Amino acid sequence: MNINFSKEDIAFREEVRDWLSNDYPKHVKEKTDKGININKDDLIDFHKALSKKGWMGYNWPVEYGGTGWSASKLYIFNKELGLAGCPPILPFGVGMVGPVIYTFGNDEQKKRFLPDILNFNAWWCQGYSEPGSGSDLASLKTKAVLRNDLDEDYYVVNGSKTWTTLAQNADWIFCLVRTDNSGIKQEGISFLLIDMKSPGIEVKPIITIDGDHEVNSVFFTDVKVPAKNLIGEEGKGWTYAKFLLAHERFGIAGVGASMRQLNRLKEIISKLDNHDLQKKVNELEVALSAIEITELRLLSALENGGHPGAESSILKIKGTEMQQSLSELFVEASGEYALMYPGPHGYENNAKPAGPDYAAEGLSAFLNLRKTSIYGGSNEIQKNILSKYVLGV
Amino acid sequence: MNLDYNDEQNMLREQIQKFCETEYDFYKREDVVKSSADFDQNVWKLFAEQGWLSMPFSEQSGGLGFGPIELSILFEEFGKALVIEPYLSTVVLSGTLLDNSIYTGRNDLIEKICSGELHISLGYAEPESGYDYQNPNTTLDTSFILNGTKTLVLNGSNSEKLIITCSKDDSLCIVIVDSKTPGVSVNSFSTVDGQSCAEISFERVKLDESNIIALGDKAINLLKQTINLATLCICAEAVGCMESCYFKTLEYTKGREQFGQPISNFQVLQHRMVDMYIESELAKSLLIKAMLEVNNNSDEMYKHVSALKSYIGKSGKLSAKEAVQLHGGMGVSEEMMIGHYLKKMITIDALFGNADYHLKKFTS
Repeated sequence: MNINFSKEDIAFREEVRDWLSNDYPKHVKEKTDKGININKDDLIDFHKALSKKGWMGYNWPVEYGGTGWSASKLYIFNKELGLAGCPPILPFGVGMVGPVIYTFGNDEQKKRFLPDILNFNAWWCQGYSEPGSGSDLASLKTKAVLRNDLDEDYYVVNGSKTWTTLAQNADWIFCLVRTDNSGIKQEGISFLLIDMKSPGIEVKPIITIDGDHEVNSVFFTDVKVPAKNLIGEEGKGWTYAKFLLAHERFGIAGVGASMRQLNRLKEIISKLDNHDLQKKVNELEVALSAIEITELRLLSALENGGHPGAESSILKIKGTEMQQSLSELFVEASGEYALMYPGPHGYENNAKPAGPDYAAEGLSAFLNLRKTSIYGGSNEIQKNILSKYVLGV
Repeated sequence: MNLDYNDEQNMLREQIQKFCETEYDFYKREDVVKSSADFDQNVWKLFAEQGWLSMPFSEQSGGLGFGPIELSILFEEFGKALVIEPYLSTVVLSGTLLDNSIYTGRNDLIEKICSGELHISLGYAEPESGYDYQNPNTTLDTSFILNGTKTLVLNGSNSEKLIITCSKDDSLCIVIVDSKTPGVSVNSFSTVDGQSCAEISFERVKLDESNIIALGDKAINLLKQTINLATLCICAEAVGCMESCYFKTLEYTKGREQFGQPISNFQVLQHRMVDMYIESELAKSLLIKAMLEVNNNSDEMYKHVSALKSYIGKSGKLSAKEAVQLHGGMGVSEEMMIGHYLKKMITIDALFGNADYHLKKFTS
């Protein structure tokens, strides 16, 4: 048994750290270090910098322009970016639709879409959830009907998607749509790529409890989508969707980002002389160590020929609980200043009132991170998965 | 990186598992606990025959030279079977302390431990000491006269030899005492988890220089190292208990029918069992980290054992309490094994520093 990374992996970690100190855009770093929300341009600059280094396809095989990294390199990459306070890499293009396209798409689709994802020339968003279908995703109703006009095959899409993250910035949306109603609900679902500039698409903001505009409703009214934008076969969308879920395994626990928050919290609390809070932080430090080693165990199983399956649900559940607990301690550390909340964008033109710098940021994160135990298959759904596949009940 | 056990380690686990399943029946264990015997002498003999009593000792001392990884495997399996034999006391606390010392008589004593003919106990705790073991009130004066009282001496009444911590000129001193020496009196009682322990008083017990195992910094290090290894062992035992709590509860709910169906069909119970499973996996992760640090004898080993012990204290009790709850009335019946895991978890949390103590130690 050996818990150490190889020499090659350690050299790679140095390379990542070098990139973070030299090429991670300074204006983005400045904002995230101060806890200021970043905007669309910051996110684009961050992703373009990754592209320039050739790291955008961090989870892709070499033949499609990816890095072809081992599981341990992926882990190191994720952890170091998290520790440095980088924004999360937007998963919708590179993490989600990209692997679906290179696995199930045709050559023309690969040529057309993959380079723009790797160069971050196209911003993707995800059209899965609908107002009536949350955790029961397969119950979705957005309808796509195949038509032919003047020798052109196209789908007409009607319906709506919701909780669509950053749809206001997106160029493309990948959607699960219903093309057939006759069989069981998992059948008759298709995977369609839709240009966000298409006539008939309307994006309406949903403001979350932290006051931020991160998610949206997307409405489709008689939207014409060329049939060549269908991935794979009609009616097989559910299979592709499941593949996509299994693909997003690593980094799911957010260990690096949580370690960064823990270290900041420790620094804050060292000045407070508050033993109750200190104890809570200590408990989280032990628990975070347990999560980290659990992730390493899955990684080791994967690298040594094993097939970790439902166990990654542990990482989703415990990783998101950890993020939430840490953010809650920032709020507790703020004491009475926690009640003064300017919203996610700070005081802007007003003078900042007295109180610790982390008070507003802590509360913003606390409110925002409520989503983590709800999205990506809620933590209750993860427990259902573990019940079924690990407990066997 | 490879966090898999190797083939030899897997074989060792299978061997212990098989033994516990075939030779270590819970009802036989209960008969022993309720009898006047403190443990099963025959089982101890079998341990010796399997070579388990020689496991952690260096090859120079006639041992197998196994480390904390193999010991953790053994204790995990012992935890599942709720083994009461005094392995921790004789082999880990006393045996490894001797093995790591430069005490002249150690080889002879270790040989006798390996063959199963000798028990030795370590007296490290005192009525007033709390979890501070380095400043005992028991004293060894300039004429080598030992005075004081040790408490919670595991297996104390069955040991021919006692290793005792004491103060000598304000330094920590570790001595070995024959339990038949005049002035030694032993008051035996049992622990909540079915082990036996003793309060042992030393009243003007005359020793000489040859009784000293270690003194000063050497004694402090020897004691710290020994208690640390023993702490790792009982944490491994707890991990075994947690796995059993989860697994036995799962089996029970699958077989128990209420309202016309197995109660494992109920989502509220499923999620609670998933929580038990998750806790046992997280505890196992901390165990792996800690045992590797101890195996490397790293500077960080105390810290990681403390992290493990603090986590086990909380999550171990939680798992065992959940197991009792999900077994319903059967969970509180003495005849069922499940409730006995809770008693084991209470014992493990209380030994060598509880969850709160180790949480503080982890960050200090």
